[in-house]
Amino acid sequence: MQGSNAGRADASPLTRARWRLTDAADTMLSALFPGRARRLTPYIFLIPAFLIVGVIVAGLFYIGDSSLRVLDRSTFLQSEDYSLENYVNIYERAGYRSVLFRTFSGTAIVTITVLLLSFPYAYLMVRTQSSFLRKFLLFNLFLPFFLGQVVRAYGWLIILGQEGLVNGILGQLGLANISVLYTNTAVLIGLIQYMLPFGVLMLAPALTAIDSDIEAASEGLGAKWYQTLWHVVLPLAKPGFVAATVVVFTITLTEFAIPAILGGGTNDYVANAIYDAFFRVSDMGAGSALGVVLIVIGTTLVSVLFALMGTGTVGFLKEDK
Amino acid sequence: MFRAAPFRIAVWSVVVFNIIFLGLPTVVIVLASFTAGDLLTFPPEGFSLRWYERLLGMRDFREALGRSLQVALFCTLFAMPSGTLAALAMVRYRIRFARTLQLYFLLPFTVPLVVSGIGMMYVFGDMRVLGSLWPVGLATCAINLPFMIWSVSSAVNRLDPDLENAAANCGATPLQAFFTVTIPALMPGIITGALLMFILALNEFIVSIFLVDASIVTLPVWMYTSIRNIITPDLAAVSVVYILFAIVSIFALDRWVGLDIFLKSK
Amino acid sequence: MSIKDPRLSKLVMPRRRFLTSAAALGVASMGAGAFPRLAFGQDEPEKPAEIIVRAWGGVWMESLAEGVSKPFEEATGIRVRHDLTEDNEMQPRIWAAVAQNRTPPIHVNWDTSTNATQSALRGVCDTLTPDMVPNLEGLLPAAQPTGFDGAFPIVNCYSYVYVLAYRDEAFPDGPPESWDVMLDPRFRGRVALYNDGIGFEPVSVVMGGGSMDDIPDNMEPAWEFYRQLREQQPLLGEDPDFTNWFQRGEIDVACTIISNARAAKQAGIPVSWTVPREGAKYDTDALWVPAGLPDNEAYWAKQYVNAALAPENMENWCSMLGLPPLRAGLEGPEDLVGDPAYPTTEEDFARLLNIPTPILVEHQSDWFAQFRDIMQS
Repeated sequence: MQGSNAGRADASPLTRARWRLTDAADTMLSALFPGRARRLTPYIFLIPAFLIVGVIVAGLFYIGDSSLRVLDRSTFLQSEDYSLENYVNIYERAGYRSVLFRTFSGTAIVTITVLLLSFPYAYLMVRTQSSFLRKFLLFNLFLPFFLGQVVRAYGWLIILGQEGLVNGILGQLGLANISVLYTNTAVLIGLIQYMLPFGVLMLAPALTAIDSDIEAASEGLGAKWYQTLWHVVLPLAKPGFVAATVVVFTITLTEFAIPAILGGGTNDYVANAIYDAFFRVSDMGAGSALGVVLIVIGTTLVSVLFALMGTGTVGFLKEDK
Repeated sequence: MFRAAPFRIAVWSVVVFNIIFLGLPTVVIVLASFTAGDLLTFPPEGFSLRWYERLLGMRDFREALGRSLQVALFCTLFAMPSGTLAALAMVRYRIRFARTLQLYFLLPFTVPLVVSGIGMMYVFGDMRVLGSLWPVGLATCAINLPFMIWSVSSAVNRLDPDLENAAANCGATPLQAFFTVTIPALMPGIITGALLMFILALNEFIVSIFLVDASIVTLPVWMYTSIRNIITPDLAAVSVVYILFAIVSIFALDRWVGLDIFLKSK
Repeated sequence: MSIKDPRLSKLVMPRRRFLTSAAALGVASMGAGAFPRLAFGQDEPEKPAEIIVRAWGGVWMESLAEGVSKPFEEATGIRVRHDLTEDNEMQPRIWAAVAQNRTPPIHVNWDTSTNATQSALRGVCDTLTPDMVPNLEGLLPAAQPTGFDGAFPIVNCYSYVYVLAYRDEAFPDGPPESWDVMLDPRFRGRVALYNDGIGFEPVSVVMGGGSMDDIPDNMEPAWEFYRQLREQQPLLGEDPDFTNWFQRGEIDVACTIISNARAAKQAGIPVSWTVPREGAKYDTDALWVPAGLPDNEAYWAKQYVNAALAPENMENWCSMLGLPPLRAGLEGPEDLVGDPAYPTTEEDFARLLNIPTPILVEHQSDWFAQFRDIMQS
């Protein structure tokens, strides 16, 4: 590691140069931020990330602005004046209401299922004594990431189609075909598979932090496994569950590709409706308004979760540990 | 707890289900890519490498792949310093408006990608930088940055503050301590986060669609726009190329960091 | 798949007369007087290394590449790159580029006439003039966009019919005679439409008990028909999805453009098409050059449009698509002679349904939104 040569007289010229550079930078820093100004350090540290996310936020100004303008169908330009018409429209259109309902209920189902499926996987990955098994489980987790959503969705097309793998097997067994593809069920299957690795990755660090001795102690005091699970492990793993919930919930809520490919066109989620407003209806105002509504609802729900459950491992400070 | 048979059985059944559930589309796509037929089917019709030959012969594919690697590299280079500093700031210091900042840093996930993409098209358009690859890298970094921050955060949580204090006691200046003690100790988190950012950028297409044109098209956009039109087995062959990347990077990660460094419990 | 099939190429590319095409291009650059020096073949605006043409995928791109881009490349040495971004996704990108005074992302847009007219109304089209695009001469009247006082901000190139395509196996007793087959319980979950309902409006109005006179003021019959259709759990997709779904046995009937059905058939998928007794909608597609290109690139983009309108190229391009070009005297593909979905005479067109472009431009977005609303409920 870098620092191990420190203090050795025979350090290379390059290393010496680096020391001098560091020294100079240090002198500069203490000149710029003497004493009390050190309090600014965390804020300075946050600047680059703040600016990068700021690119999205800057874009939201354009989106917010156009959500308040109405499309003029004779020039296909947006109106000069502001109005709330696009928002009223969302409330009034039955199609938007059912898309919003489908999205939120689907997101809830996906989040709960992913949490249930993630816990055992993360637990085994963390607790197993076998290094090989741990690596295998991790590998199996990372691999689908590389495949991307589109390709994975096409994998499901092959598996679930009328003449696909599942129906092929059912046919061999003399059973009736299933028609799952292009239904909301297919979308849910695709979403759960897509989100599962995210869930496990968010949950695992929290489980790692739980000392296995605590479990042993609980059982040593006569607790059954389910008592240990319910009263010891799950409460200690709460920050991980909060983190996994936030990630799975927010990403699923705004998901586009999987409902588009597996839903057959009649099982849209909000992101698909936004896409349609932008592109098929050429109405940027309508799409923007729907986007703003989704962002506001999503952010509000996350802040409620934070208020109720703490911020988990996605939060600032060690307050939740 | 894990010694109890019912728990063990329950855990293993779910894990086996998960392994199949996670792996099935991958296996199907990989096998289908070797088909000798014209259609993406399972089981594949015969065995051939014709779709790979076709793919490698395509200039568009090679160029798009090269651009995607550049985008992923830009993304990772933006993400590593910004994510590391942000994670340190979050975990190490008490910050005002922490709750609001938390929600701010979740915006990449709460804003639908279609909306981020169109917004960024206008932002970069006003900045007159559309047509280069680095804005695409910056955009893919912005939409996935929370993953980088969290990967490093969990490493910061693990980091013993006494290490830095010891360095300071031995006469290290703050910057020396930062570069010789803090950063190396956070390396596993930084590398894991970087790998995740790299992968996600390599596969990103929804935001990228708005930021590239045909002369700088990236691989996922090229796949989404051209191959989605006629679903031939080259789509599957591209995926296998991605999987090769996956295996190489995961192997590299294991060598450099040790895959299980985080997850081994005490 | 389909278009890589050598049988198909033979069938739809009867003759290749690139030399003549090149000659046509030569004529093109000798426009009438506006660029006198060009007549000597010198001092042409500087050639870009490549131009980008937006196209639809599958048979659409292949036909354009073979019929137009290839002769253009051979005549000019400019590489043509096809951008397969959906027309709907491309539109806001061009609009944003023009609004921000940026160079648009493509040189030539191949677009539905309705979308193209929207862009023309918004003022993002670089007008085509006969001195720059001499092949505008001699086109049929329908090539001219309505509402622009004889100017050509866009040029319509061919017409096409949204046919009822069906899987042969599902109809052993001959083709379905009415669109009401879409409501047949046998085909529940096996019916497909475009995902914005495009191409179906006049049919849906008629099927819902209305008449052509109801358009656009009383669309309720159409919505009623859509509500019945919704119960059938239709699949909604884009051009390539139809071929794909027929191939995988996912659907039995679809309302799609004849070119998609024909490409599927030529690729060996047992699919046919018909124009039911209620008729079927026909429409046109257009080419246009976005405003805001550097002068030399705009020049060559217009030369590309000119090449597409050259009789020889137009014939090859449209034959491969199986669509009647908007220029008289061109030969059509043999397999479509007498096909009601390949209209060439007044009588042929009279059997079909058409909604004038200005009405589509004004109302189609609302219809799309209404269609979505019903299908998502």
